[in-house]
Amino acid sequence: MLQIFLQCLQLNPSKFISIKLFTTILFTFLFVFLCSLAIQKPTPLPLQIPKGWPKPPTDIFKNNKPTVEGFALGRQLFYDGNLSSDGNISCESCHQQFASFATFDHDLSHGVNNTFSTRNAPALFNLAWMEGYHWDGGINHIEVQPVHPFTSPNEMGETIENVLAKLNSNAEYRSMFKAAFGDEEATSERLMKSLAQFTGSIVSSNSKYDKVMRGEDEFNNIEKKGYELFKQNCSSCHKEPLFTDNSYRNNGMPLNRFNDVGRMLVTGRSSDSLKFKVPSLRNIQVSYPYMHDGSIFSVPQVVDHYLELSFENNPFIDTVFKRKIELTPRQKNELIYFLYALTDSTLLKDERFGPPKRIF
Amino acid sequence: MKIFRTLFFVTVIFITAVNISFGQNSTLKINFEHYANGKKIVLSDSSYNNIFGEQYFIKKLRYYVSNLKVNGQAFTEDSLNYHLIDLAKSTSIKLPLTAGKYNKLVFMLGVDSSRNCSGIQQGALDPAKDMFWTWNTGYVVFKLEGTSSSSNADRNRIEHHVGGYRFGNNISQFITFNIGEVVLKPDSISEITINVNLDRYWDAVNTIRISEDPICTLPGTLAKKIAANFPAMFTVKPE
Repeated sequence: MLQIFLQCLQLNPSKFISIKLFTTILFTFLFVFLCSLAIQKPTPLPLQIPKGWPKPPTDIFKNNKPTVEGFALGRQLFYDGNLSSDGNISCESCHQQFASFATFDHDLSHGVNNTFSTRNAPALFNLAWMEGYHWDGGINHIEVQPVHPFTSPNEMGETIENVLAKLNSNAEYRSMFKAAFGDEEATSERLMKSLAQFTGSIVSSNSKYDKVMRGEDEFNNIEKKGYELFKQNCSSCHKEPLFTDNSYRNNGMPLNRFNDVGRMLVTGRSSDSLKFKVPSLRNIQVSYPYMHDGSIFSVPQVVDHYLELSFENNPFIDTVFKRKIELTPRQKNELIYFLYALTDSTLLKDERFGPPKRIF
Repeated sequence: MKIFRTLFFVTVIFITAVNISFGQNSTLKINFEHYANGKKIVLSDSSYNNIFGEQYFIKKLRYYVSNLKVNGQAFTEDSLNYHLIDLAKSTSIKLPLTAGKYNKLVFMLGVDSSRNCSGIQQGALDPAKDMFWTWNTGYVVFKLEGTSSSSNADRNRIEHHVGGYRFGNNISQFITFNIGEVVLKPDSISEITINVNLDRYWDAVNTIRISEDPICTLPGTLAKKIAANFPAMFTVKPE
């Protein structure tokens, strides 16, 4: 190569044409090769909107188009306990796949150094259709949500700087950042965006209910009756097909020992006192316990809570409860059977969202 | 050989073009100098008194300066547009400008509402800068932390995290300065200094007493009351 170049510089007229041709070809190859290196772009992985579903209210991926590589990085981070201050707590510690990404059988979740959260970990799915995150909607964008669990002393108890330092000192992570974002440095932006790509891509749309709606299955008689009771009594807040209307309401849960006033913490309005986000009812069979503080342990008890609610005795609860919910014991069971038809066993076992092969 | 000659000319033309379009080869440096009781503020070690005779120490003093305009000329690039002034780290801003005479400076003390609700941000707005509410999304615009024996809060602390971007609670505000006549020569740096007088923090449009309000960590009434004093704190240092 060097020889050819030197010869070229000597401008030997006899050899010049063939050398010129040769170098042109050589440079063309080099050019194409370098271009192919530069163009090695991540593979797009767009959000799939299930048939018949509404479009998400906002595009959570507007400035963060999911890619196979970004999603893979987010998944790796989601399952990595090393990112917490004591090395024990990962996102998955509180968001377990078999519980539809809630904490199974725990009213409150565990943070670093034997701490406890003060609210029940919400299930994570269909986040792309949400308008605010956390029970009080305090988080306005999916990308900034992880800042809270990373830094909360009773969750992962770490600083963002330390998390980034851990990632940047790990060669495997660096190559994943390179694959996802074209550069191997871990920054807050890339960290949060890759996590958003992973969690925002979790869609639950394959329960028996969904199959019935798609005409692939049929409800049995009990579920059918339960579905009718659901539509009469629950669907105004737990709106199909997401089973939430994304609103914040006071559903009669009393002020708890943490003096948690819910939405009022965010808005500062006393009228928002004790309002919490209406959670989706999808997968409730596996995401117990329930309510913002996990104080109700079973689905029948939740139904009982609503049967006992009285607007006359508690005028601060949501006006939707002015009409009293009344169910016979038999109807109660029918309703519960329908709610169990919202369990998406595909999601609970979907390997795409499961733990990566290895934690770095 | 023709190809090398062509490449050479293309490179020359390109470099020339870049020089023409990026002719902002002079720099305006804006320094922020922080005072209390007529003395330059020193973090932690020195104490100061507000007008109510309340003695206090300062541990952190940080705020966002954005949307800068010099004689109407704006800066769209993020790294030139969003700045975190931090008494412990950086207290000046360098702006690339074309040579000329300048007499007017405008900036927003705060962060545009759109940056508060469009996801993760970089540079000065990186949440790792510790100016971000993690549980109620939004930026702290002005952070003052310290201690005072007048504070009845835990460990006598003063913790003022002043912010808010939502309608009704927005505290970001523009401040306009007449900077006299600053002459920027080609390829040179000119400096102007903004004095930040913390005495006015406690006493301007509103009075803020440490004994009454040692803690402000939410957008809302108190944050707006404190923020109303901000414009009075900032003045151009006379030549």
